Amino acid sequence: MTAQERFFACRAEEVPEGERVLCRLDGKSVGVFNVGGEFFALHNRCPHKGGALCEGPVTGTTVPSDDFDYVYGRAGRLIRCAWHGWEFELETGRSLVDPSIRAKTFGVVVEDGNVYVLI
Amino acid sequence: MIDCDVHNCWSDSRELLPFLEPYFRDFLERGELPGGRGSFPHAHRPWLHPEGFMRTDAFPPGGGPPGSSYEFLREQLLDRYDVEYAILTGDEAIEVSTLANPRLASALARAANDWTIETWLARDERFRASLVVAPQDPAGAAAEIRRLGDHPGFVQVLVSTGSQRPYGDPVYHPIWDAAAEVGLPIAAHLGGQGGVNSNPTGCGPPTFFVETHALLCETGMGHVASLICHGVFERWPSLRFVLIECGVAWLPAILWRLDADYKALRKETPWLKMLPSEYAAAHVRLSTQPLEQPKDPRHLWNLLEAIDGEHTLLFASDYPHWDFDDPTQLHLPQAWEPRIFSENARELYGLPARVDAALAR
Repeated sequence: MTAQERFFACRAEEVPEGERVLCRLDGKSVGVFNVGGEFFALHNRCPHKGGALCEGPVTGTTVPSDDFDYVYGRAGRLIRCAWHGWEFELETGRSLVDPSIRAKTFGVVVEDGNVYVLI
Repeated sequence: MIDCDVHNCWSDSRELLPFLEPYFRDFLERGELPGGRGSFPHAHRPWLHPEGFMRTDAFPPGGGPPGSSYEFLREQLLDRYDVEYAILTGDEAIEVSTLANPRLASALARAANDWTIETWLARDERFRASLVVAPQDPAGAAAEIRRLGDHPGFVQVLVSTGSQRPYGDPVYHPIWDAAAEVGLPIAAHLGGQGGVNSNPTGCGPPTFFVETHALLCETGMGHVASLICHGVFERWPSLRFVLIECGVAWLPAILWRLDADYKALRKETPWLKMLPSEYAAAHVRLSTQPLEQPKDPRHLWNLLEAIDGEHTLLFASDYPHWDFDDPTQLHLPQAWEPRIFSENARELYGLPARVDAALAR
């Protein structure tokens, strides 16, 4: 594995809770998300069809239910791809339908109010 | 060979009189009937087969409609093709689904089932029958399944594919609950396209019988999608759904579409734990007839591989109807034949293993 490099993405205050910014880092389009004060970064490229993953809505969804009812949960912890609507966990990049499918995630470091992405 | 769609019928609906409660007898004795005295109360589809939908060589020599004579059915089908079991699906009985009065529909279904026991099941050990219910009367249908579901002659519950709503709808859940309780699969046979039931094609009624017959598989698509999406197979994991006479080649395409859409829209059906195609593979079985016939049969076989046709298809002849499939003329991969011609049905219906007649003697 090649060594990771640290890229400055934005100032933390530029990404309020529940929001995201898109950055161009190391030639890649990267979405930086603030989920309840925690920062996550995903490649803006959906593993399904290469769509604009990070430009879709940050959302919750119905969680698996055994009583055949709608139980809404995980609000603000998921991204729905802008193209075909596949749902992914912001934290892990895992697809909700098939956890073996993962969107590319990057490590994030916040130092002195600067948000860095490890690529 | 196990034939999963054999149509036995009455010569005259008045054969049902001994099995009907008094109020409902009046309908057959004095009531208005669609084809005159002796015909069966139901709403007819508005597409009339220009030649009648029977094989014209299947009229019994002693009179009556094709499928009404046990002896002639035995000669033309059971003995001729060495049928191990014939799954009887009746004829007009499933058309009770077209009637506006659910109580009349259920009364006729009950009578038809009792008539089947006495007139057919008692005649030949090779017969197994379908327990007909009126889907527009879910409580009555469930009661009928509990009344006769344990009878060893009945191997499935039967409704028409014509319906008021797709069968996954919660309104029908009492029926599936009862079927699961008695351990019978649910089968839907092409039919019931008239009366109170929905138009069978989404863009409006077709004109000709030829186009209608080719498109009637559309109702099967709707039921399969509905049963899967409503989570019927999650609620009743032992339940199997058998689609009879709706063709087979469309199923892979519908399942590919359902899988793709589910991946984007899973939030609508969070009770599902597998892909739609995985539910279909585990729970849905299709009868082969009328098997689609491309010029090159390999085109069909490739499609059927996608639904594991070797394990999901059930041979059916549809005797004595005009689109009968002769088992000796069916083009299927040879390696699949033992399962499609016998073993899939044997497993589904819990039929005993074949005893070689010569050895048994």
